[in-house]
Amino acid sequence: MRQAMWILVVALVMCQARWVNAVETTSFRKDVAPILLDNCVACHGAKKAEGNFRIDTFAKLKTAGDSESPPVVEKKSDESEILRRICATDIDERMPPEGDPLTADQISVIKRWIDEGAVFDGSAADAQLAAIVPPPVHPDPPVTYPSTVPITAVAFSPDGKELVVGGYHELSIWNVESGNLIRRIKNIGQRVHSLMFHIDGKTLAVGCGTPGKLGEVRLVEFASGNVQKVIGTTTDVVFDAVYSPDGKRLAAGSADAMIRVFDVNSGELQRTIASHSDWIISLAWNADGSKLAAASRDKTCKVFDTSNGELLVTYSGHNQPVKGIAFHPEGNEIFSAGGDNKLHRWKIADGAKSADVATGGEVMRLFRGDGFLFSVAADKIVRQFDAANQKAVRTMEGHADWVVSGTYHVASKRLATGAFNGEIRIWNVGDGSLVKAFTAAPGITQAVAAK
Amino acid sequence: MLRCSMPQRISNGMCLALLVWAQCSNALAEDTSKETKVAKDDKSIPTKVDEVGQPVRLEVFPSSVKLTSARQAAQIIVTGHYADSSVRDLTLLAKFASSNSKVLDLRGTTALPTGDGTAEIEIEVGGLRAKLPVQVTDFGKVERVTFENGALVALSKQGCNSGACHGSPSGKGGFRLSLRAFDPKLDELTLIREDFGRRTNALDPDRSLLLQKPLMKVAHGGGLQLSKNNPAYTVLRDWIAEGGQADPVGQARCVKLEVHPSQPRVLNRPAKSQQFAVIAHFSDGKQRDVTQLAAYSTSDEEIASISNDGLVIGHDRGEIAVLVRYLEHIESVNLTFVKDVEGFEWKEPPANNYVDELVYSKLRQLRYQPSETCTDSEFIRRIYLDVIGILPTLDETLVFLANKSSTKRAELVEHLLNRPEYSKFWALKWGDLLRLTSSQVGVEGVHKYHRWIERAIQQNMPYDQFARALLTSSGSTLENPPASFYRTSADMNDRVETVSQIFLGARLQCAKCHNHPFERWTQDNYYGMGAFFNRVQKKKTLRPDEQFVYTTTAGEVTQPRTGQQMKPWLPGVGSVNDLTEQDRRHAFADWLTNPKNPFFARIEANRLWSQLFSRGIVDPIDDFRDSNPPSNKDLLDRLAEDFVKHGFDRKHILRVILTSRTYQASYQTNKFNTDDTKCFSHQEPRLLGAEQLLDAICHVTDVAEQFAALPASMKATQLPAPDLVKNDFLKVFGQPERQTVCACERASESNLGMAIQFFNGPLIYNKLRHEKNRFRQLMALDQPNHEIIRQLYLAAVCRLPSDKELLASLQHIDSKEDRAAALEDVCWSLLNTNEFLFQH
Repeated sequence: MRQAMWILVVALVMCQARWVNAVETTSFRKDVAPILLDNCVACHGAKKAEGNFRIDTFAKLKTAGDSESPPVVEKKSDESEILRRICATDIDERMPPEGDPLTADQISVIKRWIDEGAVFDGSAADAQLAAIVPPPVHPDPPVTYPSTVPITAVAFSPDGKELVVGGYHELSIWNVESGNLIRRIKNIGQRVHSLMFHIDGKTLAVGCGTPGKLGEVRLVEFASGNVQKVIGTTTDVVFDAVYSPDGKRLAAGSADAMIRVFDVNSGELQRTIASHSDWIISLAWNADGSKLAAASRDKTCKVFDTSNGELLVTYSGHNQPVKGIAFHPEGNEIFSAGGDNKLHRWKIADGAKSADVATGGEVMRLFRGDGFLFSVAADKIVRQFDAANQKAVRTMEGHADWVVSGTYHVASKRLATGAFNGEIRIWNVGDGSLVKAFTAAPGITQAVAAK
Repeated sequence: MLRCSMPQRISNGMCLALLVWAQCSNALAEDTSKETKVAKDDKSIPTKVDEVGQPVRLEVFPSSVKLTSARQAAQIIVTGHYADSSVRDLTLLAKFASSNSKVLDLRGTTALPTGDGTAEIEIEVGGLRAKLPVQVTDFGKVERVTFENGALVALSKQGCNSGACHGSPSGKGGFRLSLRAFDPKLDELTLIREDFGRRTNALDPDRSLLLQKPLMKVAHGGGLQLSKNNPAYTVLRDWIAEGGQADPVGQARCVKLEVHPSQPRVLNRPAKSQQFAVIAHFSDGKQRDVTQLAAYSTSDEEIASISNDGLVIGHDRGEIAVLVRYLEHIESVNLTFVKDVEGFEWKEPPANNYVDELVYSKLRQLRYQPSETCTDSEFIRRIYLDVIGILPTLDETLVFLANKSSTKRAELVEHLLNRPEYSKFWALKWGDLLRLTSSQVGVEGVHKYHRWIERAIQQNMPYDQFARALLTSSGSTLENPPASFYRTSADMNDRVETVSQIFLGARLQCAKCHNHPFERWTQDNYYGMGAFFNRVQKKKTLRPDEQFVYTTTAGEVTQPRTGQQMKPWLPGVGSVNDLTEQDRRHAFADWLTNPKNPFFARIEANRLWSQLFSRGIVDPIDDFRDSNPPSNKDLLDRLAEDFVKHGFDRKHILRVILTSRTYQASYQTNKFNTDDTKCFSHQEPRLLGAEQLLDAICHVTDVAEQFAALPASMKATQLPAPDLVKNDFLKVFGQPERQTVCACERASESNLGMAIQFFNGPLIYNKLRHEKNRFRQLMALDQPNHEIIRQLYLAAVCRLPSDKELLASLQHIDSKEDRAAALEDVCWSLLNTNEFLFQH
């Protein structure tokens, strides 16, 4: 309490101080927006809008709420309502209302920015603050994990010898044969939900984010581990980020219910598709890149024409969240699966179901390779189907927990699956035999995790 | 209250009608919405030394403290006993000191361990001292936070899984929890695994979405629901930090909740606070203080509220139940708050019987003075309507008013209880409860079923026999009409819900899908009770309208959530293992009608009471639960006991109540009872029921209503079923469809439709215009206006008009050319008075 008082006193002094000799201009997107995002948007965003005042975009920040006092008056911080409220001594007036006030440094940044003219240096005034702030440098992952994390994304290296695994704020690279940790790539979002190599074999698209706070696609140079680009930044995690077969485009689906399509070379956003009403969990391109299929928690699947973003068909046959989606090899039908424990096959032309197969548990992902279709599910079982006729080829059992991710390597004909308990299993698709099982959590040995 | 005494001038009758109705509705609204004003300073917590008084003895709970991990704590409660045998909670006023800070620290009134060893807590208050021995062991050992007893309890405490939030069937914002954690398996899935485990973060627990959302660090539709200072935060955080896992198989479950104080307390000002301590007992024999994690509520926040850590503060006088909840365990303790009222001096009126004694005792305690006894006019009108549903004839009224005997009221009670209309009117009430409709039991069936009920009431069939006849009925629904009970409650679910609502006073519908959110009824209980009734079958016969009810000897009930086969289960008894009877219903009826059954007699005694007052002693009458305590427990207990003692004689209970001064109290309040809405210090006016009102209008106008093909003499209060004849007037005034067993289906609120009926509805219009109505008959007999007015008043309100009323009416008639039309106005305005519309 005493400390809080002290901060308040300092804050007050700061509020009244004059910052005439500022050397560098204060940036909205680099300096101010991150403070607002962390401290204000939860209550002054689209969801709550306390006092009818929002801060989630620059345009909203400039618009007065119920108080009708102008929130930001250029060059006049003493007339700006937001500054008055963050500096208020009256606990009923002060923002944020609960917990600690903003620090003196944070207050001085906002004051300086206003007094310098409250210049907007972002891309668009109506863009979400989360999308205009510079990509964060993520904290380092723990040196050793105190406990395993669910393996929500895996990818084979192009040569099939290494497996890239989504970890906590990192990608960990494991030797497929030995199960040993080779190296770690830092500066990744808290949770990694998708991993996909570009056809050049050099770049890895990482769909990641922090639940409820941030979603982004990081394009990582695999060899160096450098983050080359961060695209599609939004307010909640990116569940899937997939390259088009020709490698020219990348589609990202996120918990903000949006699908964003980027030009891979420029990193520019080509199209935003706002058709689903809940999380986009999986995306799939067709062979020529003319169609994009999406699976959503809104219990539907949709297929879009990628040339104009138009909706081609909506499939509502699941009545449960849909988590996995893949094109039939012939391209005119879709496989989808999710919470209704069934693999559905349906026609793009009219959305009519042509077949369904029971999957035993909730399907978490669906993916194709070599004429096969694979599903991983909450019943701990990996299923291999003939992608032409969805006939069961075999099941692969042995995971001790929900299987939540998987990937297939064509050359080695191997399958890697990741489970909720942190375990990776590498399978031979030819006979379903287990090649290797290991726990992909740095610092946790397999023996410990296997107990 | 009955301000609009009529008639006034009625030259513009229409406007007046609306005005009158508006006034009536206002009066009604005033009756039901009396708000107790709480003085602001009354919410303060006691801190003053003078509030200690002079206790003669201190009592400390617990008697000793044993803490077996660093994560445990113990709430201490200090009770002062006084020379006048009153008690006060001195917890907040006492001084506590630890004899060894290396073993024990105190945070407020809670003992916290600091290391292994023994110590004492020294307690001092009011010049008295006490010592509380403390033992701390295993301080250094980590005690894992369990999923169910920790995380789920914490979520329940914060209300996350309440019905309005994530506990609703579809959850909120894509996050669904089971209602008050009744389904830990589902919650395990949701919290730990669902949506890729995004809700918890074992590597950085404070950043878990589960915590960030209610802290409003991440936008949360439900707003701020948690603070880092809440004990629930610590529990949730620690659970996540320890891996956020489900409980291992065999994890000890809470089997019993112990609450202290456990017995009802009366707190006299200045005493107005009570700290509670809650101990959970687990299946492994261990116990733990869960005061900080239990969830609390009171039955009446106006009278007293309770804080998150179990401190009750009284705001006003009255009685409340404090409800303590921990997972599916619910305990309640009644507290009475007494406060002096300025100028109040108790004047004990003479008591007619035990009803008065017990009502007065409560009124005296809460500082309410009962109203005077009502007038003879009020009495005769009230008791006719209550006992036989109709108004007295003019002769009956005049004879009663003229009777000078001091025992005339008791004699009238006796007379009415033996009138044939008594059984017809009370058959209407039971018809509502048992859902007598021709659509459910056929036209012939409904007549027979109705006649059976009427006869049972007329013969004063003991209530236990009545219930047994219904519950164990078999055979043809026409030969044995009570078998229709199993036609109206067609399946196992319906039977469980009907039986519990009618005979156990419990609304069990919610337990069909989940544990009752406010009560100890669980889903298991619901299906366990179902096992008594699931074997009842029906088949059609060759006779139309007839069904044949029988029981099979096989068939079990499966609990849908657990898939478990349920053994027959009885409240307060538990699972019944070895039923010898072929027909399980007999075992249920044996238990139900046993004189020792805690529900049976009380529910019926309360229902009888509720028919004679504006509310039951427990109200609503079919919602008996700890969180809805009786407004006078002793009274209800005594009535129930008397009911049992007299062999479940319903007439006896009616007689006792009707002859009490409490029943006969005026509706007019005095200075010291206007606030009272629950303790029966006065009668509250009640709008006449739909059927009573229609009969009353027929009576005043002397124009009977013909109900389709039913006998001409049949009154509205005697109709076997609402769907035998369609009557708009009855519908508008709240005649129930009889679709549910809830007494609440009979609407008692006033509405616009009612106003329109009285304004220009066809029923009243036709009766006022009728060629042979009361005033036209009198006109034909050349009766003078004042005599006609006199008779109308006697018919409508059982009294003569006042001089003023008479004069106003006469002037109105004189001012009109058409005498009959003027009398229509007078009669119409009389029908629009509160005095007519209400029973008072």
